[in-house]
Amino acid sequence: MAWVFRDRVAVAGVGYSAFTRRSERSLAELAIEACDAALADAGLARADVDGLATSPSMPRYGGAKGTIDGIDVVTPYLLTDLLGIGDRLLWTGSTNGMVTQSVIDAALAIAAGLCRHVLVYRALHVPKGRYANFESSHAGGPEQFLAPYGFTAPPAWAATAMRRYFELFGYSRADFARYMIDNRANAAANPNAYWRGKPLSREEYLGARMIADPVSILDCDIPVDGCAAILLTATERARDLRQPPALLTGFAASTTAAPGGAPMTLESLWDGAAQTADRLWASSGLGPADVDTAQLYDGFSLFVLTWLEGMGFVPRGEGLARLRDGYGARGGALPINTGGGALGEGRLHGMTHIAEAVLQVTGRGGARQVPGASRSLVTVSNGLNKSVAFLFSADR
Amino acid sequence: MRPLPLSDELTQAFWDGAKTHRLMIQRCPRCRHWQHPPGLVCAACAAPDLAAEPVSGRGTLHAWTVLHDAPAPGFADRLPLIVAVVELAEQPGLMLSANLLDAAPGDLRLGLPVAVAFEEVTPEITLPQFRLEGR
Repeated sequence: MAWVFRDRVAVAGVGYSAFTRRSERSLAELAIEACDAALADAGLARADVDGLATSPSMPRYGGAKGTIDGIDVVTPYLLTDLLGIGDRLLWTGSTNGMVTQSVIDAALAIAAGLCRHVLVYRALHVPKGRYANFESSHAGGPEQFLAPYGFTAPPAWAATAMRRYFELFGYSRADFARYMIDNRANAAANPNAYWRGKPLSREEYLGARMIADPVSILDCDIPVDGCAAILLTATERARDLRQPPALLTGFAASTTAAPGGAPMTLESLWDGAAQTADRLWASSGLGPADVDTAQLYDGFSLFVLTWLEGMGFVPRGEGLARLRDGYGARGGALPINTGGGALGEGRLHGMTHIAEAVLQVTGRGGARQVPGASRSLVTVSNGLNKSVAFLFSADR
Repeated sequence: MRPLPLSDELTQAFWDGAKTHRLMIQRCPRCRHWQHPPGLVCAACAAPDLAAEPVSGRGTLHAWTVLHDAPAPGFADRLPLIVAVVELAEQPGLMLSANLLDAAPGDLRLGLPVAVAFEEVTPEITLPQFRLEGR
C-alpha cells in the first residue's frame, strides 16, 4: 500500500563538514559544522530547529568501544547543548541501528505534526590504531563464535559472500575494476569527497593490498573523521525555503535476519535486498524502471551488486557483467553512487548517499549531475535488518 | 594468544561438547529444527527449552576468505588464515564458521566436503575446526 505521506515530507538542506582521515578537530566541532551548513543551505537558523536525531555509534570489534561523547560519537543530547537549542527542541531521537532509521523517525515526526524542522546528522570518527584489530583476550556473546577464528572484522564477512559470488558465476576482481574506476571518477568530481581530484587506475585497483581475499583495501569504504547532515521539513514548508525540495516518495526497512553461524551469506544479502525492494516499491508505487540514479550502500564493493541484483534491477549473477560494461557509470543505464559512495566520498554510514540523492534530484550535482535525474534510490547497510531504502523525487 | 570464547548459559553445551570432541548443536525438541548460534527459543517454531545434540561433523564448504593481515595479535603466526563458512550436513542453511586447517587457498572450491577437527587451544578450551574431507 502506498505511503499515505508520500511526497509530503522533504529534505530542504544538506550540509557537510570537511572529510579527512584523522582530523585535528573534535568530532563535535565537525558535527556543528555539518549541521550549520545544512541549515544555511535551507536558509534556516539554529533557532528554527525543533527536532534532532542521529545514531551515535562507532563500529569497533573487541577492545575499547569508543563511547566518549564529542570525541568518538556525538549524541543528540550533547549537540543540543552545543547548538544552544535546548529550549527550542520538541524531540530528540537516538537509535542504535543505522542513522537511516533516524531519517524515518524524523520524517514521521514531521508527518505527524510533532516537529517542523528536523536535523538528522551522522558523525563518524576514525579511532587510533588499526581499524579491525580484535584486542580483547576473550570474546563473549555472538563474538565467541567468531573471534577465536579471526572472523570479527566486517571486511572478512563481506569477503566470504564476495568469494561465493565470484565462484558461483565465474568472476574475479578484474571484473570489478571498471566499476571501481567509474566510481572513483564520481568521487574525483565531488568537492566534498575524500578522494576528490584523485582518479583510480586499473593497475592500482588490481594491485591494492588484500585485507580479506578477495576484499582489498579499495573494496572497503574509506573511514573518515566527518559529519553530514540533512534538514527535513514538510514539503509545503520546504517550497518556501532557499533550495528546491527533494521529496521523500517512499521508504522501506529490512527485517531479514542474518543467517546465524555466519554474519552474512550471499543469499541472505540478496534476500534482504529483495524484501526491502518489495516494500519500497509498494510504499512508493514505483519500480526499478522509475529510478534515474541509485545511491547503493558500498561499505564494501560487493554490496553494490547484492543491492542491484536483490532489488531486481538485473538478474542475480549478472550484475558484475553489467558493471563491467559500464552499466553504473555516469553515462550508463543506471548511474550508481554519483558522488563516489562510501568508497570514494567517505564512510558516513549512508548519510552521504542520502545527501547525494537530494543533490541529484534537485539538479545540484555540479560536475557529476546526471542530466534530468528526477528520482534517486538510496539503500543503506548490507540488506539485513537495520538496512533501509529511500526513494527521493524532484518537486515537479 | 588468540581470543578465547567466554561461554554462557546458552553456549555452555557447545563448548563442553568441543572439549570432549563432539560437535554439539542446538535442536528443537518439538519441530526438530537445528540452529546455531544457540538461542532462547526455536527460530522455526518458537518452542522453548532447547537442548544440544551431537551432529555428524560433516558438511560442505559454502564460502571462505583468506586473511593476510592478522585479525588479532594471536594470529600472526597462522597466516594466511582461512576462515570457512561450512554448511552442516544435518540441515540446509545450518552454518558454522571456523578455520580450515591444513588447506591451501588454491585447493578450495564451493561445495567441497569437510569434516570437523578439534583443536585444543588451552586445557580448558577446544575449538571445533574443519579440514577438507580426506586430509
